[in-house]
Amino acid sequence: MAISSSSNLANEEQKLALKLLLPAFLILIIIALYPLGQVFYTSFTDKEFASGSETNFVGLDNYQALLSVSIKELEPVIDDETGEQAIDEASGERVYQSPIRVLPRDPHLYRPSFEFSFFGNRYVVGARTPDFIRSVWNTLLFTFFSVFFETLLGLIVALVVNSEFKGRGGMRAVMLVPWAVITVVSAKMWEWMFEPTRAGLFNMLGDRFGLIDGSFAFLSNTSLQMPAIIAVDVWKTTPFMALLILAGLQMVPAELYEAAEVDGASKLRQFFSITLPLLKPSLAVALIFRTLDALRVFDVFQVMLSQKRYSMASFNYFQLISARQMGMASAIGVIIFIIIFAFAILYMKSLGVDTE
Amino acid sequence: MTKSQKKIAKKILFYIMLALVIIYLLFPFYWAIVSSLKSEAQLSMTPATLIPRDPDTGEISIFTRNYRAIFANGGFIRGLINSTIVATATTILALITGSFAAFALGKLRFKGKAPALYTILAMTMFPQVTVLSGLYAVITALNLSARVSMIFTYLLFTLPFTTWVLTSFFRDLPDEIMQSAQVDGATPFQTFHMILLPLTAPALVTTGLLSFIQAWNEYLFALTFTSIDPGARTVPVAIQFFSGEFARQEPFGEIMAAAVMVTVPIVVLVLIFQKRIVAGLTAGAVKG
Repeated sequence: MAISSSSNLANEEQKLALKLLLPAFLILIIIALYPLGQVFYTSFTDKEFASGSETNFVGLDNYQALLSVSIKELEPVIDDETGEQAIDEASGERVYQSPIRVLPRDPHLYRPSFEFSFFGNRYVVGARTPDFIRSVWNTLLFTFFSVFFETLLGLIVALVVNSEFKGRGGMRAVMLVPWAVITVVSAKMWEWMFEPTRAGLFNMLGDRFGLIDGSFAFLSNTSLQMPAIIAVDVWKTTPFMALLILAGLQMVPAELYEAAEVDGASKLRQFFSITLPLLKPSLAVALIFRTLDALRVFDVFQVMLSQKRYSMASFNYFQLISARQMGMASAIGVIIFIIIFAFAILYMKSLGVDTE
Repeated sequence: MTKSQKKIAKKILFYIMLALVIIYLLFPFYWAIVSSLKSEAQLSMTPATLIPRDPDTGEISIFTRNYRAIFANGGFIRGLINSTIVATATTILALITGSFAAFALGKLRFKGKAPALYTILAMTMFPQVTVLSGLYAVITALNLSARVSMIFTYLLFTLPFTTWVLTSFFRDLPDEIMQSAQVDGATPFQTFHMILLPLTAPALVTTGLLSFIQAWNEYLFALTFTSIDPGARTVPVAIQFFSGEFARQEPFGEIMAAAVMVTVPIVVLVLIFQKRIVAGLTAGAVKG
C-alpha cells in the first residue's frame, strides 16, 4: 500500500513535470529547433530570399564555395637593375608578384583573401568567397583580443572594487554603467569619438599630446579597424567580466590572507599564490561565457563597419538581406553553429551540470 | 622611506588607480552627454572641447535643441514605444513559461531531467544568427507582424536564460517547504503557485529585469524583421537609421541626445536594483 502510493506520487510528479516543461519546450521547438532544421536543409539549396526564382538542390556547393581555400607562395619580384628583390618606393615594403597570377582560375575563380609571411617566404590565401574567410579570421581575432583585454581590465576593476575604501558602493554602481548602455548606442558613441578630424575625441587628444597628426581615420584605415572595434567591445563588457570575477573574489576566505600576512608574504605573492588559484573556477566560467558571446558578435561590426569589414554574423546578415542568397546565408549559419557548438560542448564538459 | 610614508604612497597609488578606472568607465558616456549639448557648429569645432563652448567667444554655451529635435522626431518616440512593448511582452512570456519549467527542473523528480537541463543550458549559448533565415521563414509562414515576431523570437534568448537562473533559485529553496505542504494535502502545483512562487518573487524581479534589458538591447532580429515595416523599429534600429533635422550626413548631436535618453532609464533601473542584478548575473553564470 505504502509502496504503491509513493510510486503513484512519483508518477504524478513525473506527469506534472512534463506538463510544466511542455510550454517552454514547445516554444523552443518552434523558434529554435524547426528553424535550425530549415536552415540546415536550405544550406543545400540555392534558394533566394524573397524571390520567385526556382530553388534547386545543390548538395555541398554552398559549403565548397565558402570553405575552399588555396594557399600559394608568392615569388619575389626581382629588380632588373640590382638583381635583388624590388622594394616599393612609397611604402618601403618588399614587392611580390600579384596574387592573381598564382591563384587557380578554373573551374572556380579564387580571389586573394589575405597574405602572410612565414620563414621569409610570402604566401597568399585565396578563397572563392574571400569575404567569408576574412570574416572568420576577423571574428577569431576579435574574440581572442577582446576577451583577453576584458579579462585583464575586468580583473583590475574587480580588485579595485574589492578593496576597502570610502564610496565602494558608489563605485559598484559606476562599474555597471557601460554594461547598461545599449550595444548599438555604445557603438555610436565610440564612432563619434573616432571621428576622423580633430572634432573627434581621440584625434583631439592625440593631437594635443603630439602623438598623431589629428586626422586618423580609425574606421576607414584597415589596420585600425580591428583595434577600434575591439576597444568598443572591451569597454562595454569589462563590467560583466569584473562582476563575475568580483563574485569569485568574495568567495576567497579572508583568513587565508591573514595567515599569509603573518607568514610575511608580500601582496604580490598573495595575489599569485592565493587569489589567482582560487579565482580560477569563476575566471574559467567568465572566459567561456564571453568567448561564446564574442564569437556571435554582430552589433558593433554592423554599426561601425557594416560592409567595410565583416564578422561571421554580419556577413551572414549581408548574404541574407543585401545579397538575398538564402542558401548561402544558411550554409554560413550552419558553419557558425558548428563552431559555437564545439566551444559550448567544451564548456559543458569542463563544468558539468548539477542535476540533483 | 618610513613605514607610514610607504603607507601614504600606497594609498595615493590606489586612488590614482581608482580615478583611472572611473574615468575609463564613465568618460565615453560623459562625452556623449557633452556632445548631445552641442550645436552642429560646436560639434565641428577643431579641436573638440571638453565642455560645450561657443565657437567664437569660447564661452560655455549649452545647446538643448538636439533633445527637442529627437522628441519632435516621430521615429524616436515610436522606437521607445515599440521597444517598451516588445521587451515587456517577451519578458512576461519568458517569466511565465520559464518559471513553470524551472520549478520542474529545480524541485521535481522525473526521468529525463538531465537531458532537459542540458538542453536549456545549450540553448543559453545558442547563436541567434544561425537561425535568422529559418526564423524569417517561420514568421512569413505564420504571417506574424514585425512586433509580434520580435516578441516571439526574443524568447530564443530570454526563455533559456530565465529558466536557467530560476532553476538555480528553486533548487536553493529548502525541500522541507514542499514536503510540509504535501503533508498538508497540497498538490505539487498548489505548492508551486501558492508557496514557492511568492518565495521566488525577488528572483523573478531580477531575471525579469535582466531579460528586459537583453530584449531592449537586441539588434539583429529587430533590424531584420523590421526591414519591411519601419513603423515597428525598436530603439537600437531607430537610432541607427536616424536622419537628423539640421543634418549633414550623420546628425551626431541628435544621435548622442537619443543615446543619453535611452541609457539614462536603464542606468537608473540598474542603480536601483544593483544588488539584485549582480546576484542574477552571477547566478546565471556561476551556478552550474
